This record gives sequence, structure tokens and C-alpha cells, in this order.
Amino acid sequence: MIIVENISKRYQTDHGPGKWVLEDVSFVIPRNVSVGIVGGNGAGKSTLLRIIGGVDQPSRGRIERHCRMSWPIGSANMQPSLTGRQNAKFLCRIHGHEDDIPERLAFIQDFAEIGSLFDEPVRTYSPGMKSRLQFGISLAFKFEVYISDEATSAGDASFRQKASDAFKNMVGQASLIMAAHGEGALKEFCTSGIFINKGRAVWFDALDDALSAYKDSIKK
Amino acid sequence: MTTPSNERLRTPLAVTLSVWNALFLREAVTRLSSGRGAAVWLLGEPILNVAVMLVIFTVIRMKVVSGIDVLAWLIVGLTFISVYKRTSSQVQNAISANKTLFGYRQVKPIDTLLTRAFLEGFIALLVIIITSAGAIFLINVDLIPDDAGMMLSAFFGLWLMGLGYGMICSVTVELVPEFGKVIGLLGMPIYFTSGAIFPLHSIPQPYLGWVLYNPLAHGLEVARLGVSSYYHVVNGTNLTYLYQCALVSIFFGLALQIHFARRILIK
Repeated sequence: MIIVENISKRYQTDHGPGKWVLEDVSFVIPRNVSVGIVGGNGAGKSTLLRIIGGVDQPSRGRIERHCRMSWPIGSANMQPSLTGRQNAKFLCRIHGHEDDIPERLAFIQDFAEIGSLFDEPVRTYSPGMKSRLQFGISLAFKFEVYISDEATSAGDASFRQKASDAFKNMVGQASLIMAAHGEGALKEFCTSGIFINKGRAVWFDALDDALSAYKDSIKK
Repeated sequence: MTTPSNERLRTPLAVTLSVWNALFLREAVTRLSSGRGAAVWLLGEPILNVAVMLVIFTVIRMKVVSGIDVLAWLIVGLTFISVYKRTSSQVQNAISANKTLFGYRQVKPIDTLLTRAFLEGFIALLVIIITSAGAIFLINVDLIPDDAGMMLSAFFGLWLMGLGYGMICSVTVELVPEFGKVIGLLGMPIYFTSGAIFPLHSIPQPYLGWVLYNPLAHGLEVARLGVSSYYHVVNGTNLTYLYQCALVSIFFGLALQIHFARRILIK
């Protein structure tokens, strides 16, 4: 369960505080419910995901996470000068998996399909390569909630298929919070929706209602 | 709340310990593998440093400083001041160097400061042991400590001071980047008045009293006394003063870290 309470967010600009990106957002995501976040470009979808994932802090309000939650997959938080393997090891350690690092590394290398590049510095990777590695690492840990910011759109067609299969296999064990522009991906994985518009976020038990609210707002 | 998922969550202490372990190993790897021959330079830098100063001291024909061999005086001074210098500068830059890691909720800014301080203390201790052993066996300098405990307490005090000063600077530089220049300017007088390269006993009163406000000077004097009990320490040397300064700055640094924790993460 994830409780988001009265969260507001604005970014600091060079000319003082910027305008509110999110204003007084509250909702509760129950256990085992996958949520799609919909809204136009710049509505605050990524900001909300980053705050839920703990990458960014809200300016006001608080958030409680009663689960094991991933970082937003797809935003590559890796040290460019270290190799993929070293980065993966580091993540195994901070997630408390010191004892079975070799197995997890093997899984990651295999899933990300990066072969010998695994031992090259991350700065030499292509963006697709990097997100495949990120995706592989996040699957190596059994999170209960995965946060995905267009993660399924990373890599080529065959990897996208693999990624979406991996997500499908987890149904029942893990849930997803995702932002995507493709309606198909959202409908495939999510049952509920959050619609973000003008800094406000509205919770919908059914994803279809969120999507139609989004469509209505475009028509106006 | 006791949902089944909660039972599998780790305790905060377990999370922090695993983060420290991971950060320490990661820092060690970057420190030893960044750039060509990074590991060699860890030792090469202090040795060159001593060599350059030795040339200068030979030119001005100084053989003995306050009762001990000039080479022993220099090696202790330069290696011990670098305990403070390296620790404080590494800790000061810890936050900006590890920004990407704060994307993982487990890693807090303070973790990066502490692990860097531990790694730097560890490296500095190794450097001291290796350079001293080298000087003892290769060029016959009398560096075998008369009182190893005294040297160790000077080492520890200087290390704590580096940690405290670095902690304070890391927050101020992060929030007010212009402050970095001021800190850079401050570094010079702090270094000169510490007595690492410049014998303090030649300074007359009342100026000596002013110089002794620099806590580092006390650490270096005591470290030299630890090497040789014949060393004449500067009047007014007091190791407790170094520890007091160190503890006050660590307390102040921690307070800043806690107070600005959110601001540091938001930036």
C-alpha cells in the first residue's frame, strides 16, 4: 500500500521558486493494484513517479510506502565510469543481497543481453543498452511494486516484447505504477488510473474512466 | 501495520549497514582505478611532496628542527597534515560526486560523507605506514615511534577534524556554491599555520598564540613528539584542544546535515 498525502511540488529555478507542478495531490494505491498515470506532456507524470519512487522529494506533503518498491525503471542512475557489473553489484549490495551476488549478476547479464559489454564502463553504452541494463537489474530483485516511466519502450522490438512478457509473468506477485503515452501498454497492465491535469491528480478505480477523462480534457 | 509484506522489509539499521558496505567498496574501486596509475599516485604524491620540501630545506641548510632530524620532522608533518587535507576535501565533495546515487531511496547524503571519511582515513593510515617504513629501511631516518599511542591519538584527532570540517563545507558548498571559493582561500593560511612545512617554534609571541588557534598545529606537534621524545613541542600545545574543535565541528556538521537534508536532496 502506498499513501500519498497532500503532496505539492515545485522546482527551484534560477529566479526563485518556479510554478507548482503538482498541487495538493492525495491518493492511496491499494496492494496489488496496478496503476496507469495519464496526462499531457508536462502535466507532471514523471514528477509524480519520481516522488513516489523517492528519487525526488515533494516540496510539501508526505508519502508512506508499505512495500518493497523499485526505483523508476528507465531513469539510469548509474556511475558512468564504473562498469555495468560494478554498478549492478552496488545495487545488489544496497538492496541487501550480499550473499547471492553471482547468481543475480548472471541473471542481469543474461536478461539485458549485453554480453561482454557488462565489463565495460557504463559511459560507453548506448541509451538503449543502458535502459536494458537498468531493466534487467530491477527484475533481479523481487520488488512488490515496480515504477515504470515508459520503461517498456526501451530497446528494440524484441527486447520490448521480452520486457512486456516479464511484466506479464509477474502479475499476481507484483504490481506496476506506470506512465506511458501508448494506451495499449496501459490497458495491458493496469486496472486503475490517475489522471493529472493542471497540477491536480484524480484517482479512478477503473483505468478506462481515467483515459476518458483525459480525452475529454483534450477535446475542450 | 503488520501486512505480510512488512515482515520482509529490512530494519533501518540493516539497510544503512548494507549501504555503507556497498558505498565503501564502490568508493575504493573508483579511488584506485580512476585515471592512470591512481593507486601509484596515492603513494607517489606524499613522497614527491616530502622530496620537494627536503630540497628547499637543504638549500637553506636546516638539518635539525626542534631537536629532531629535519627529514623525520617533514615526513611526519606532511603525511599527518594530509590525513586532515584528504579527508576534508573528499568529504566536502562527497555529495556532488554521488548525486546520482540519491535516486535510490536507501542512500542518504550522510552515508556518502561517512564512508568517504572511513576510506580516506584508511588510505591515509596505509600511506603513513608505507612511507615511514620506506624511510626507515631505505634512507635510515629515525621514524620508529617512541610513543605509538600518542601518534595514533594525533592521527585520530586530525582525521576527526577533517571529517567535521568536510561535513560543514559539504553542506555550505552544496547550498551556496560561491562558498567553495572562500573555502579554497581559507585552505592556504590553515595549511601554513599548521606547522607542516614551517617550524612554529621560530614564531614569537603574541603571534604564536594566534597561530595556535589552528587546531591542526596541535595534532602535528603531538605526532612529532610521538616519533621522538626528544622533540621540543611548541609551548601551548594541547591535543585536547584539537579534539574539542573536531567534536564541535562534527556536531555542527551533523546538525547542518540534518537541518538541510531535504534541501540537499531537492537540489
